[in-house]
Amino acid sequence: MGTMAAENHKTKALNLLRSRLCDPKFIFQPLIDSPHTNFSKLKFMISSSVTEACNNSILLQGPRGSGKTEVLDLVIHDLFLEFPDSISLIRLNGLLHCDDISAFKEIARQVCTEHQLLFSKAASSDDNSQFMVAMLKECGLAHKTVIFILDEFDLFAQGKQRLLYNLLDAMQSVTSQAVVIGISCRLDADQLLEKRVRSRFSQRKLIFQPPSKEDAQRLLAHVLTLPIDSSFPHEYAVEFNNKVQKILEDIEICNKYLRADSSVKHLLRFLFCAISDMDLQTGFLSWKNLDNAFSCVKRAPKQECIRNCSILELYILVCMRRLEVKEQSLCNFNSVMKEYKSIQDSFHQSSDNYARNVCLRAFEHLIDRELICFTDNRAQSLTVEYRPVKLLLSPAELHVGLKAYDPRLCPPILLKLMD
Amino acid sequence: MEAPQEDSHTPSNPIVFPPEADDFKEVTYLQQLKYMDKDETPQIPRRSTRYSASTSNNVPEAKVNSSEPPTVDDLLVGGGPISLDDLISSFPGRSSQILHIVRLLGPLNSPTPPLFIYGDASTGKTSIILQLFRHLNRPVVYSSCRTCYNHRILFESILNQLLLHPKNASNGYSNAKRCERPSDFVNCLREALTTVINNLKEKSEKLISNTMTQGGIGNMIYLIFDNFQLVREWDKSSTILPLLFNLYDMLKMPEVSLVFISSTSPDTFYSNNMSYVEPIPVHFPAYTEDEIRQILLRNQPNPKLYSSFLDVALRPFCRITRQVDGLSTAFKPLYEKYCEPLKNKGDVPSEKTKRSLFIHIKPHITSSLNDIFKVSSLTSVESDACKEAKWKGSQNNKLERFEEIGELDFHMSTSAKYLLISAFLASRNPATLDASLFDSKGGSDNRKRKRKASQKALEHKESFEEELLMKGPGTFPLERLLAIFQCIVSVAEEPSDEEEQRDDGLGVPGGNDGLMNNVLLQLSTLCNANFIFKGKSCPIEGSTRYRSTISEDLALKVARSLKFPLSKYLYRR
Repeated sequence: MGTMAAENHKTKALNLLRSRLCDPKFIFQPLIDSPHTNFSKLKFMISSSVTEACNNSILLQGPRGSGKTEVLDLVIHDLFLEFPDSISLIRLNGLLHCDDISAFKEIARQVCTEHQLLFSKAASSDDNSQFMVAMLKECGLAHKTVIFILDEFDLFAQGKQRLLYNLLDAMQSVTSQAVVIGISCRLDADQLLEKRVRSRFSQRKLIFQPPSKEDAQRLLAHVLTLPIDSSFPHEYAVEFNNKVQKILEDIEICNKYLRADSSVKHLLRFLFCAISDMDLQTGFLSWKNLDNAFSCVKRAPKQECIRNCSILELYILVCMRRLEVKEQSLCNFNSVMKEYKSIQDSFHQSSDNYARNVCLRAFEHLIDRELICFTDNRAQSLTVEYRPVKLLLSPAELHVGLKAYDPRLCPPILLKLMD
Repeated sequence: MEAPQEDSHTPSNPIVFPPEADDFKEVTYLQQLKYMDKDETPQIPRRSTRYSASTSNNVPEAKVNSSEPPTVDDLLVGGGPISLDDLISSFPGRSSQILHIVRLLGPLNSPTPPLFIYGDASTGKTSIILQLFRHLNRPVVYSSCRTCYNHRILFESILNQLLLHPKNASNGYSNAKRCERPSDFVNCLREALTTVINNLKEKSEKLISNTMTQGGIGNMIYLIFDNFQLVREWDKSSTILPLLFNLYDMLKMPEVSLVFISSTSPDTFYSNNMSYVEPIPVHFPAYTEDEIRQILLRNQPNPKLYSSFLDVALRPFCRITRQVDGLSTAFKPLYEKYCEPLKNKGDVPSEKTKRSLFIHIKPHITSSLNDIFKVSSLTSVESDACKEAKWKGSQNNKLERFEEIGELDFHMSTSAKYLLISAFLASRNPATLDASLFDSKGGSDNRKRKRKASQKALEHKESFEEELLMKGPGTFPLERLLAIFQCIVSVAEEPSDEEEQRDDGLGVPGGNDGLMNNVLLQLSTLCNANFIFKGKSCPIEGSTRYRSTISEDLALKVARSLKFPLSKYLYRR
């Protein structure tokens, strides 16, 4: 029974850490306390426009996975606690609603579900856009701030930007009361806007930067330490935390891992790999887990591809490389085959001299693996042998790949042919 | 649609790999597993296996089950429980990948970020993932981007499964929801997932109250996207790909996890106007020679004999390809040949017989190396295996078919054959030489020109060949094709009065209307069969241009069947 319980709390620890990593609220929790973060700035901006009943528009920018949406969610969560009755939230995503029709429809749908109105699927886009303007007016009269969150903001800037124009134009009137928050990974997102839209958009921007080394370390500590309370056996939790502390204090290692990935999300993904690799026998995180996770996340796909090739496929790659060096204007299977034959003839290698159709199949395998690709998109009229192709490997990659290939199998002649 | 052969399966050893296993039932089972997507509704194999699993306990209940409305249990991969050890032993050389994925998926009810499984064709990605979920006994929604060939079908297939809506005759094979737009899809998906997860939670609470902590299926649900690399070629790939990659972040449901299975590495998905947080990559490397040996040895009736066969054959073939499906097809006839001198295939070979067998097979290996993958006449089991190999070969079946047809005696009307030959000639010969090649003497000029070959002509010849090699067959207008067709038909039909009649026909186009009509019909048939490619109409000339896509070998074969002297008309310098 004792061992069962031990197993249990180790699994429990693993589960806790895993669910922490998949829970953005938990990850960004420490931000709330410090004053100079984007969190507090954003919260101030939005809450002031709620209390002062004015219109506002903000753009959140930063690389993918830097926690823009998550921080905003935390802010919204707080605001809902502070002003439960005077906020109404509408979320749009550029990936889903970048065309105006579905955007207006989605706005109408969300408003309808919030206010228990009947949403008509058949309503026209015009009806929906008028509905939105009317709704903004009503909300303004009721002193309710409508917060529009436009995720993937840059995608809304495609096309005629009717949504953005209508939204921002409606906000110009005194009666309305709305906040538009755009989230984008593109730093030039505001430059994509049309003039009429840009002039209506306030130029407030918040930049989310990748965490500094200190921040990242703090984040790691925050995620990896177990709570010292009744949920885990005291000794286990203390020892676990000590081990984590030791890992975090090792500057060299931290440099290696934390420098590699810039954004919070990537860091979390790396941590997830490490934690899932944790040994349940001991129940502690170790260096080895971090190392394994590092090699899991950091991959060299091209090298993997070369390693998966057969000898014949390597021959074809080398032939293509040689054709590249010769600067032939056009390269297709026939010219590769000619080169292959000339190599076979000049070196009298009997073992790797294969017939044309065998080579063609190997060639097709390479195309499937995307080590080579067709340079024409639409020439379906030609059969594979005639379609021009190009190599998707740099000479250095191919060279490294050949060197790393199992030396017992790889004919040494291939490396020589590369030079 | 129910597969009765499923019933005979004992749950302990139903995984079959490789596909060439002698037992036909097992082959079909594998195909159902691997290409579950071939059937529009993946529920079918599941349900039938559930049926078979329950028959062992009590029959009447099973019958009730089959008429009951579908439950969340239908989202489990069927086939009964399987232990991790069985799983690892049934996939030789994949233990590290299996354990890695098990660790990433974690214990019951533990959230997982999206996974990206990638590796070459026939490295066991799909089979392992499905079997792994069978081992874990957790609900999955499996959809392959091969059968769901556009985003709408994919969306609807996922929703059908989540809403437990099997397509069948009773509902007229309709979908549960119609959804075309990504926004509708995400809304419906969220709704459906919430209900399913609530169901799962209720269920596991019941289990806990019954103090049955073992055997629960948990609260997590996994969406599996197979053949994910194909999404890149879809019409709306630029919006669908980022949507699917960002789906996990968009849903914000920790109970949902995504598994992408692709045959190309994650870096092939990069494009300049798309960004996403990369899923956790898991690589399935190609099998090594030893692993291929282990795989091929599975399910062999006489492993000792087969092993001695592999000693001889495996290494040279591995230099050509390391794909198990291709190798297993190539080895099948070769092994039969290897066994030929033996009286009893069940015998364990002695050193002496091994040596004599080696001498026997040696010449065959060298020859069969060069026609590896050549498809000969097909038996039913073999054809399945071949189909599978071709399934992977994606777009290039055009060529394969030609090779295959060249071997076979295929049926085609005489006029179609002439048309094919004339198309081939029109593609190969320069248009300027038509007059001299097809005049009344019938290409006797050819020889004269050859005699006068000068240095310049030789150079010319080289450049011509080069061009032919690079550019492929040339294009030609319809008029030229018909003119050549008439010429060669008239040459072939020896009687001289016939020839005069042809000349009349040429002079007066209305003369043989019936023949021309027929020919146009034949031409469109050949175009549909991809023997002749019909291009879009040229904006300058305004006429449609054609191109013959057949190889010289095939053209010669066709000509031989007509006893037509093709080489006489083929322009070579």
